[in-house]
Amino acid sequence: MNITLDLHDIQGNIVFGYGRWGYPLSRYLLFKFNDGVKARDFISALVPLVTSSAPLDKQNGGTPPPATTNIAFTYAGLTSLGLPDASMRSFPDDFRMGMKARKDILGDDGPSRPEKWDPVWKAHRSVHMLLTINGQSQEELDGRYQEIVGMLENTDGDVELLSGHRGVKGVNNLPYQSGNAIVLNGKPTANEHFHYTDGISDPVFKGQGRSANETIGAGKPTREPADTKAGWDALETGEFLLGHRDETCEYPIAPEPRLLSYNGSFMVYRKLHQNVGKFTDYIQKASANYGRPDDSPEVKQETIKAKFAGRWSNGAPLATYPDYASAMKFGQEWDNAAATLFYQTDVSAEQKSAARAKLEELKIKRRAFDYDGDIKGAKCPLGAHTRRTNPRGSLEFDVTGAFNTPGALVDRRRILRRGLPYGESSDRNDNDGEHGIIFMAINSSIQRQFEFVQQQWVNYGNDFKLANEKDALLGNHATDDQGNPIGRTVINANETLEQPTYMCSGMPRFVETRGGDYFFIPSMTALRMIGEGIIDPT
Amino acid sequence: MGNRFGNAYGLTVLIPIKHGTEDNRSYDKIIRDKLQQWPLDEQSPLSKVPNTYLSRVFLLNDVFYEGAPAIEEHLKNKYLVFSSNFFGELDDYLTGMWNTIGDLLKEFLQHCVVFDKVNSSADFVRYIKRCQIKTSLFFNGSTDKPLDEQLKALYVKQAFIHFAYLSDHFRYEGERGAIKLQDAFKRFVNLIDIKNFNVPSWPVATQSIPADIELSVKAIINNVKEADK
Repeated sequence: MNITLDLHDIQGNIVFGYGRWGYPLSRYLLFKFNDGVKARDFISALVPLVTSSAPLDKQNGGTPPPATTNIAFTYAGLTSLGLPDASMRSFPDDFRMGMKARKDILGDDGPSRPEKWDPVWKAHRSVHMLLTINGQSQEELDGRYQEIVGMLENTDGDVELLSGHRGVKGVNNLPYQSGNAIVLNGKPTANEHFHYTDGISDPVFKGQGRSANETIGAGKPTREPADTKAGWDALETGEFLLGHRDETCEYPIAPEPRLLSYNGSFMVYRKLHQNVGKFTDYIQKASANYGRPDDSPEVKQETIKAKFAGRWSNGAPLATYPDYASAMKFGQEWDNAAATLFYQTDVSAEQKSAARAKLEELKIKRRAFDYDGDIKGAKCPLGAHTRRTNPRGSLEFDVTGAFNTPGALVDRRRILRRGLPYGESSDRNDNDGEHGIIFMAINSSIQRQFEFVQQQWVNYGNDFKLANEKDALLGNHATDDQGNPIGRTVINANETLEQPTYMCSGMPRFVETRGGDYFFIPSMTALRMIGEGIIDPT
Repeated sequence: MGNRFGNAYGLTVLIPIKHGTEDNRSYDKIIRDKLQQWPLDEQSPLSKVPNTYLSRVFLLNDVFYEGAPAIEEHLKNKYLVFSSNFFGELDDYLTGMWNTIGDLLKEFLQHCVVFDKVNSSADFVRYIKRCQIKTSLFFNGSTDKPLDEQLKALYVKQAFIHFAYLSDHFRYEGERGAIKLQDAFKRFVNLIDIKNFNVPSWPVATQSIPADIELSVKAIINNVKEADK
């Protein structure tokens, strides 16, 4: 079934991420509405600035806009905007409760508990709207920011831009959260602060307009080989967009009326702090005895790091590149092709075209795999981050035909990851500075998709036959009575590479929650109707 | 399908509750009030009955009417329903139950039909068998080994995980580490006393991981380090 989506009706950053168009900078603004009428006027004034999911050069007269703008609301925000009770009652419980009230499900305890979040999140239900700006340069980003701040003047203080985002050196009253791609050696990267390449296998769904090549390793697995086009199908649109058929051949649960929800979605926004120093330190200590005694510390550390993630730092998947040498070769080929394509000036058209083809081939290789034949986790440990959060067909545990499709337990747990890192971490031993990731997950059901992944696959291990073991990177590892970290993880043995089973203990919590909430992203139509106050579920 | 699944037995019993009242309360209400005062988990009286894998007790007031075209029906009595999965033979199990929590059972079974004729464990076995119905869809959720053996296995598994993690560093201390690892393992074998199914073991019906398992393993590792100094 061919699905044609009205991309001009769907807000931007959903159907494709802005990173694809090269917007390495972002700002996240939180607003509070004190008066419904003024707030609706403000929304109406914002609508012309809002970016859609149409190709960016097609909504701005041939050139991508210098900066993008998107908005989303919390439950409290929609209430303040005066949506009818019947509509408000039709929203799902997860969204109505908000992220703070779901802390037990999410494992936001200890240093991640809401009391530790940035001040802007602390007041009860005071965050009503999230506005995100993505920009190509600081000037353009700031230009759009100033434009929006200027619009606030017409609201007589009845729409407040909330301060209270943390910054560096104890600052805790910033009016916005910044996000930025990490720049290494003068080049913007797709890295996060532990220096893994991030955001590789985002799901592909119907109507997104992706080619069969782009669907390899990114859709849902069929029973054909994982490195072929036949091995993958695009997911149903309704897993990510409300009002469309989902993986159970139904419409997802959505608020009434249909015009309010159609082409909208739900978004999880989380500010995740990364303890870079603890990570650096732990990788050094934990890798000391890993692998062959004559391996260099560099090899040991990189391998342990890869085993935690399921991918090498450069993005090469362990399932395809189980050893250090092959992974480094992958990285070298990638760097060479990228250099030819983007940075070298004296190259011929043929060389460019060859480099482009090579990069395309390597991109597919980053995704074109499953865990068939690796049931014991010899290549990619059963508890590795990417194997947990996207198990592909591996929950059949090599019992082919255990389910109707190999991804039966996975296809309804996928999330679109958007967002960018924030802060800087050039001091690799620092824990307390501002460095982490603004994690944004888009899905039709926060409970079924994001929360399930977080609760069952990140903070628990039973589905992978790992009892109560947590994700090494993201898990909310606890401490004992004396405050000593007690996280543990097993790296499964790989006999071919002479790597015996390796046990990592005393693991601290590497990632801590610093804020966030659940948001509803209306379609462009619904946004206009909210502004006009004409949402009517009767 | 019947009451047996290997060595496991699935018992289903419907005990009719007497009609009538006492002190202005119907008998089923008296029973419910008492049952709801029972403590949970390891404190539950049912956890004291030997070889119980899983058991539950509840009151069946009536059957549900599922709407037309179903016929509306009602039970003649209210029933106390007892269901249990256990190891071994029914007679042994019920005798064990009478011997451990018989007095507690009498408190509410006295309000059930003809329970006044029950005066001994043999009477109790007969009485329960009269009230037994066939467990038609019985699926045993554990192995069919005796309970003490299962709990010991759970304990050993947990203890060994702690041993593996806590002794792991000896692997990297060369020959001296190997000696220490061997010493630690000997102490570990001593600690778990594998042939003794009573102690140390996993506590019956506990909901939380018993902390002392890790502490006891930690203690022997520390002893090895001390002995090495």
